[in-house]
Amino acid sequence: MEATTHTKKKTCAPIRIKEARTAYLLLIPAILGLVFITYLPLLAAFGISFYSWKGLGTPKFIGLANYVKLFTIDPYFTDSIKVTVLFALLAVVGSMIYSLFVALLLNRKIPARAFWRAVFYLPYMLPAIAVYIGWQWLYDTSFGLINYILCAMGIERINFLGDPKWVLPALAMIAVWTSGNLIVIFLAGFQNVPRVYHEAAEIDGANSWQRFWNITMPCMTPIIFYNLLMSLITNMQVVTPALALTNGGPGNRTTFMTYLMYRYAFKSNQIGYACAISFVFFILIAIFTGILFATSKSWIFYEGGDEK
Amino acid sequence: MSGKPKKAFHSRRRREKTANTVSFLLVVFLALGAMFPIWWIFRSSLMTNAQLMTNPPVLFPKEWLFSNYTETLKSFLFWRYFKNTMTIIVPSVLAGTITATMCGYAFARLRFPGKKFLFSLCIGSMLLPGMVTLVPLYITWTKFLHLGGTYWPLIIPFFCGGGAFNIFLIRQFIRTIPRELDEAATIDGAGHIRILTNIIVPAIKPAMIVVALMMFIFLWNDVLNQMVYINSMEQYTIAIGLNIFRGAYGTNWKNTMAATCMSFMPGVIFYLIGQKYFVEGIVMTGMKN
Repeated sequence: MEATTHTKKKTCAPIRIKEARTAYLLLIPAILGLVFITYLPLLAAFGISFYSWKGLGTPKFIGLANYVKLFTIDPYFTDSIKVTVLFALLAVVGSMIYSLFVALLLNRKIPARAFWRAVFYLPYMLPAIAVYIGWQWLYDTSFGLINYILCAMGIERINFLGDPKWVLPALAMIAVWTSGNLIVIFLAGFQNVPRVYHEAAEIDGANSWQRFWNITMPCMTPIIFYNLLMSLITNMQVVTPALALTNGGPGNRTTFMTYLMYRYAFKSNQIGYACAISFVFFILIAIFTGILFATSKSWIFYEGGDEK
Repeated sequence: MSGKPKKAFHSRRRREKTANTVSFLLVVFLALGAMFPIWWIFRSSLMTNAQLMTNPPVLFPKEWLFSNYTETLKSFLFWRYFKNTMTIIVPSVLAGTITATMCGYAFARLRFPGKKFLFSLCIGSMLLPGMVTLVPLYITWTKFLHLGGTYWPLIIPFFCGGGAFNIFLIRQFIRTIPRELDEAATIDGAGHIRILTNIIVPAIKPAMIVVALMMFIFLWNDVLNQMVYINSMEQYTIAIGLNIFRGAYGTNWKNTMAATCMSFMPGVIFYLIGQKYFVEGIVMTGMKN
């Protein structure tokens, strides 16, 4: 017995080594990527944040001074955290509700489903900058479509992109419009809800509302979690509207964290200072995802654990 | 005795039918709402500026002034921008799809020491926001590798698996393919690479198309990286070119809208070609985490 396992091991070993070698060979790109464009730059950003560096000359070590400056005297930073979080909240909640609702409708037996699915997905395929410029025209105070509709309804014209009160909801609205990818993922999730559960519940006399809350929604929670997480990370990094339309205004209302970091790093060459911002941002994202993961256990339903 | 459940069944069927009709009406209504901005932008690109400022606005322009487009093309060099954008996108998407497939296959099928660790590093990087690494990468590309002013900093990262998400997607998809196929090939004497190219790749084509389109959309939407690395007019992409055009002609709405519509077009065309594979691919991949 012992002898057979021994010989087996011996014949297996070279194959195993060959397999591992092939694996590492195939993984070279990923390993290079993980080391050189992900984790080393992350460490570098952390390291540089302790220096004062104008991009030229030798960096000067200044300890925590960048961080102290950020939280005490920087006129933009605390506001930038506020507006970034507020925007992300509006955009994530809005697009989750919108896309879940549309996916729910598209999941019913309706004619030409593939066509409608394509229609809702289309805005996601348009280049971001063109989307913002197009919407700038729709939001125009004097001649824009939206203000025309408001006017027709007897509501006063709103300077959407110029009014500090309105600019974040207006931009979040654009994010909701382009959230077609969430719809497609939700739809895929709905199609994975096991049929048998519904049939069993139907026999037990559950109506469609009960079936929705007690079967569909629990089965969907992993997908909801995934979409929530990805949409949060995407929307927290919002920068394009500031680059394309608002330049951080009105009144710093769209000076998002990424935009502020960009401005410090590339407009005024404060490399160390910009890295401190990105590291604070990294911590902020880590806290948010941490909270999401921590609460996930209480509301995510995993089907009997047979997936693992 | 059998009449009652039958009746209940019928009324339920009827209720379901009404619900489907209501859903359909809602879908049509929402879809019109979602498409209306695009129509509005398009019709604005075909009118004169004076017409754009009439009140009430018209839904359909009286005559379609396609001359707006020829006029816009004089300063919005669409074809050059398009060519430049493609110079970035084509190699990136090709390299990204190939390397993501290689890595996804290794994670899905092969056994090797350190697999768990590498895979969790990979998943972890999905949660890492790209903006955090922007400045260190910029310094590396421009100060150490002297590649500032070229497209390389935008393209080379895609040679590294095209992002953790795509590797993950390919891995998930490969795991749904029965292992017996691999085993049969092994008995026939095929190595791992042969299995990958002859069995896995044909089977995961939908997933590869999804991955390619994901990368396409990412590059298509990316403004920040392009703004950071592109600095000469010859190199402008559609996104940068459009932004510059808006800066110069901002309130000349008809031309700005014509330029916007032209920027919409390639995405729309690619989508129409790929949409069937794309949506099916996502559905098939199942997105099971």
